[in-house]
Amino acid sequence: MTIYSLYIYDRHCACVYYHDWHRTKPPRVANEGGGILPAVSHQIYPRKDGAALDTNPRNTLMSSSGIIVAVNDEVPRTPLPGATQQVPANAGLPFDEEAKLVYGVVLSLRNMVKKISGKDEGFVNYRTSTYKLHLYETLSGYKFIMLSDPNADSLRFVMRQIYAGPFLEYVVRNPLTQMDSKESGIDNEYFRTSIDRMIRGLSVFN
Amino acid sequence: MAIFGLWVINKAGGLVYQRNFGDGLPGLTSNEYLVLAGTLHGIHAITSRLSPTGSSSGAHVIEGESFKMTIFLTATGTKFVLLTSPVEPTADSVLQKVYEIYADAVMKNPFHTPEMPIRSEVFDTRIAALIK
Repeated sequence: MTIYSLYIYDRHCACVYYHDWHRTKPPRVANEGGGILPAVSHQIYPRKDGAALDTNPRNTLMSSSGIIVAVNDEVPRTPLPGATQQVPANAGLPFDEEAKLVYGVVLSLRNMVKKISGKDEGFVNYRTSTYKLHLYETLSGYKFIMLSDPNADSLRFVMRQIYAGPFLEYVVRNPLTQMDSKESGIDNEYFRTSIDRMIRGLSVFN
Repeated sequence: MAIFGLWVINKAGGLVYQRNFGDGLPGLTSNEYLVLAGTLHGIHAITSRLSPTGSSSGAHVIEGESFKMTIFLTATGTKFVLLTSPVEPTADSVLQKVYEIYADAVMKNPFHTPEMPIRSEVFDTRIAALIK
């Protein structure tokens, strides 16, 4: 039993948040110009050349002392041609494509379920041999999508908790957050850490 | 505990058989069913690519609030879709039996053209006898 990932989409179909945990097939870094907003997730945002500037020890400013720590570069500063992007052998799709596919599947299923039932009812989840996708949609059009182990029970209540807890607290009630900006994802470390803590505390996580 | 409908989708995504049972779900026009079957075919292919870990099958069970769809994909690419109430433990075994009836009454019929709509009285009656 485990939880693989969480996606949050706003009502303009843009992915505003992404977080993953036990993925053995991680997504590749998004293509530049793929339409992924900044701050959705650091690990998949397209890097500028001279990859991973932030993690370069030369740029590390010690918060306590204010001294720039100079350390030998472990990675060559000019990457060898052909080795600019290291792709693990088991890597999945680039993230921008994956985000679009997830949204497309969920939207089509939602419309299909509405059509078949003839009522205004939503799609809840689907299951394949290796994972289960859960959807929770808020009245304001935000979609919370979670991927978990196929045997997990419904995770609607977890996504509702994320919405009612960290999301309202650190995003909606945060005057510095631009909702619906179409320019940036949810850029808030409190939000990220509290979601991480919440998910890791679940009984289905391990 | 109720079965609402059965669809058979050929390997190209065309709906070759569709039947409703009971009145748990509203009926749609045949055109709408064709569109839904095509959509489901596409979704099924995409879901197998979204796996966060290793290779995956396509969607097996899709749940709504008042019903669920159980999808059975045969080795030849034909999909059997059963629409049932959310708690229906027999869906998988019913689909297995539908496949057996399909093999007997449709595939063994020398007058049936593969991938074309199923018009077989024997298939109809045996399905009706299975799903009561």
